[in-house]
Amino acid sequence: MSMRYRRTWMLGATLATGAMVLAGCSGGGTDDTINIAVANHPWTDAVLANVEDFEAESGLNVEVTSYTEDQLSQQLNVRLNANADDIDVMMVRPLQEIRTFDRNGWLADLTEHATTDEEWDWSDFQEGPQESVTLEDRVLGVPLATEREVLYYRTDLLEAAGLEVPQTLEELEAAAQTIQNQNPDVYGFVSRGARAAAVTQFSSFLYSYGADWVAEDGTSGIGTPEAREAYTFYGDMLRNYGPPGVTNMSWPEAMGIFTQGRAAFYTEADSLYTNATDPANSTVSDVVGFAQFPEGPAGSRPTNVPSWALAVPGSSNNQDSAWEFIRWATNQENTLVAQENGVIGARASAWETEMPDIPADLAEAQRSSAEVGVGYSHPVVLNVSRARDIVGDPIVTSIEGGDVDAALDAADGAFNEFLAEENE
Amino acid sequence: MKARSSLESRGFVGLRAVLLIVFGLICLAPIVWMLLASFKTNIDIYDPSSTFSFTPTLQNYSAVFAQADFLQFFFNSLVIGVGSTALSLLIGVPAAFSMQRFGMAKSSGLVLLSRVIPHVTLLVPWYFIFASLQMVGGYSSLIISHMFISVPLIVWVMIGVFEGVPVELEEAARVDGLTHIGAFRRIVIPLVVPGIATSAILSFIFSWNNFVFALVLSGTNTRTLPVAIFNFIGYASIDWGALMAACVSITAPMIVMALLGQKYVVAGMTAGAVKG
Amino acid sequence: MSTVVTGRPRRPWDGFSDWANKHRKWVLAAPAIIFVIALMVVPLLYTVVLSFTDAEGSIQRAFDFVWFENYVSILTDTARFWPAVWRTVIFTAVAVTLEMTIGMAVALLLRRPFMGRGLIRVVMLLPLVATPVAVAMMWLLIFEPTVGFANQLLGWLGLPAQGWISDPSTALGTLMLVDVWQWTPMVILILLAGLVGLPEEQQEAARIDGASNWQRFWHVTLPMLKTTVIAALLLRSIDAMKTFDLLYVTKGTGGGSSHEVETLNIYAYALSFDYNEYGMAAALVLIYFLIIVGVLVVLNMRRKEKVR
Repeated sequence: MSMRYRRTWMLGATLATGAMVLAGCSGGGTDDTINIAVANHPWTDAVLANVEDFEAESGLNVEVTSYTEDQLSQQLNVRLNANADDIDVMMVRPLQEIRTFDRNGWLADLTEHATTDEEWDWSDFQEGPQESVTLEDRVLGVPLATEREVLYYRTDLLEAAGLEVPQTLEELEAAAQTIQNQNPDVYGFVSRGARAAAVTQFSSFLYSYGADWVAEDGTSGIGTPEAREAYTFYGDMLRNYGPPGVTNMSWPEAMGIFTQGRAAFYTEADSLYTNATDPANSTVSDVVGFAQFPEGPAGSRPTNVPSWALAVPGSSNNQDSAWEFIRWATNQENTLVAQENGVIGARASAWETEMPDIPADLAEAQRSSAEVGVGYSHPVVLNVSRARDIVGDPIVTSIEGGDVDAALDAADGAFNEFLAEENE
Repeated sequence: MKARSSLESRGFVGLRAVLLIVFGLICLAPIVWMLLASFKTNIDIYDPSSTFSFTPTLQNYSAVFAQADFLQFFFNSLVIGVGSTALSLLIGVPAAFSMQRFGMAKSSGLVLLSRVIPHVTLLVPWYFIFASLQMVGGYSSLIISHMFISVPLIVWVMIGVFEGVPVELEEAARVDGLTHIGAFRRIVIPLVVPGIATSAILSFIFSWNNFVFALVLSGTNTRTLPVAIFNFIGYASIDWGALMAACVSITAPMIVMALLGQKYVVAGMTAGAVKG
Repeated sequence: MSTVVTGRPRRPWDGFSDWANKHRKWVLAAPAIIFVIALMVVPLLYTVVLSFTDAEGSIQRAFDFVWFENYVSILTDTARFWPAVWRTVIFTAVAVTLEMTIGMAVALLLRRPFMGRGLIRVVMLLPLVATPVAVAMMWLLIFEPTVGFANQLLGWLGLPAQGWISDPSTALGTLMLVDVWQWTPMVILILLAGLVGLPEEQQEAARIDGASNWQRFWHVTLPMLKTTVIAALLLRSIDAMKTFDLLYVTKGTGGGSSHEVETLNIYAYALSFDYNEYGMAAALVLIYFLIIVGVLVVLNMRRKEKVR
């Protein structure tokens, strides 16, 4: 009796655990649920706050998972590699991921949906962003945010020092020095210093010194005298006027320094400005000013890039519902919602709308930057992660006060080799 | 009875007390610091003068738990921990018994090699395999991956335990008419319940604490606590208070387990090492 | 109990039961062995194949066999690979040496019962069971240059503030200390278990012979404890070489801006999941695995020496 009981019990336990495992097996969602993988970006906070509206309208259920940028990109690689069907819509960085994802055959072709939907109006999107998601006439994503690098500064510190907003990089350095000397608790300047993360923000410095990542003949552009000056300047700024440990900083850390009132100037993407102006996160919310990126020897050449887009994995089983979501998330109305929260979309119509909530100086900086901006913020190649590490290396050396020339020679060589390999 | 040796002289006792108190403080202090920080506002964290004197606040905890997802992550960790532990016991305990009784050196060596292999070696092939079985993103791939840690652990612990169970007991049971497997199940298993408890507690702890498997293999709805916390750090300017509250919340169950099952945790950590 | 078998009729599964009992050795062991083969041996073979190819970007894309090209480029890579080997070695060597030394000292202090011993033994379990990701975050805050407790402590002692984890020159060393904090208790537990099992007679004999404490430890206790010491060394060395959570959480992909804490494990992760260079990554993880197996074999030989 007791033996039979025991056997039944063991069988039961086995079945129960087995069933539990099987229950977990179904990774993909059901037809009326779409899974969305997004980055922690102000766009996400602004637009997805209203996702209930979409759910009510469409009868679909939306599951949002949000990751840090690095994690999102790694997760996408893993999932798409595995043909996973548990992502239906994903946020991707057009310049960094569209090309390589398409080469891997991971992206659904959205041309049909995008070009035939007149009410939604693909032609309203600006040309640059459109191009960034279009390969060989195939539309592979829908741009949802554009970014420009602008100068964040502290109006109170500038006023106390009797300084004007710096117009050139030279003036920026002088101002950073003056303010740092006057205020023992304040660093003159902060920006990203971590190897790969710094690349996108260093870009504006590079361009404004008249250099570029890749020269016109397709070889490395970081060995030129102009590039060397840019690397040296950026490193000197962060070493002399930046906080300790800056080589560990991506934007959350650098923004933390600025919003805790510990830095006078900060060069960063405009789309992150609400972090600085929101009193809940920022101790300096009412003394933040914005200006166009200062002029270098080659003028002011800030980045102006389509930073994020929505795309659909080819392995998704819900591609039509996925498009429904993209269509909603990137319609005129939601582009304006995002814009009210500081995320400038890619729609021409939205650019023309007045945005009372955006600080006037920021709006002005955004407009003027868009006119002179450069449309990419890192080398445009297939393996962008690798390239960012290569060209980011000398930034770190420069910040640490090492031998910038030697580091640049090494990086220049490595980058040439990398480019040659990619073009094979 | 006889005079205590020179080792136990008064000077030694005093020195020992001082050294051990220092050691205990070093073990404890960082955790206390984390606990304190989790009850501070960010303003207090940034203010050196309020290291120990501050007005405690629960706002960090409410921020952590207000994220409904956090409970979901908690549940995920629990399901994966319990599932992987149960299944690992089911296959690990009989295997350890067989390996011990039959001296299967090659097989046990193979199983223990999986204790040694760097997990990063396996991740790429695994997700390829799991993907072709349509298992990526579900609990099953995570449970299986965590079993990869607990099966060798259980085999390792239980071989040592079975060594201590005399074969004569099984022989006696055979005389009473039980089959070999019957004797294992009805006579041996009840004798090794403490060993099984050790294995279970340890494998649950390791599953709960595991980071790298879930980092790569977890899906949208199956993220475990360590991965969820890791994601926490990238948000806006780092919210140290909430981060520490999250860290305390994830660690607290392990600490409670360790306190309640102290004997088992110690037995598991030292298993196999002493006998060679 | 015995009546269960003698009087009852044969049931349908008795045939299976007889078979299972006859082959019980494999029936009991097979599930675990098959599990390990499926999850370790098969992937390893797959990795070996992958290591001879130039697979990158996506694992489903066509790839070519390049045979030993990946191995050659890794072994000649003085920018990332060899520094990573060096960091793995130095991290393991320093951390484990400290853990063994401190662990032995504390274990000897804890050897005999005294008031409060139980408390110490509970307290030292905490670092051991705390979730490594949480531990890493905790130390990240403690070592934070501007608000962390570590610099505050230095300030009270009148010492200059340090960059700790954020400074490339001190990051690896600081993280070694964290590893020591976290894992020394494990060494203590193992050594303590070994010490408890030691016979008292030789100790007494040596004491009567007038040997000093140090002499008794060195000539009597340590040799008898050799297998336990090597077992602890083995366990810790292997785990230290595989340290991932602590390094990845504190310094991210690539082990910091100058790769200052990039060990083989961290480098392999970057090759796999950041660069998606699967062929290269496969070659690297195999080299890495061989290094670990090498250490295992050498230490294990030392352990067996004494037993035989």
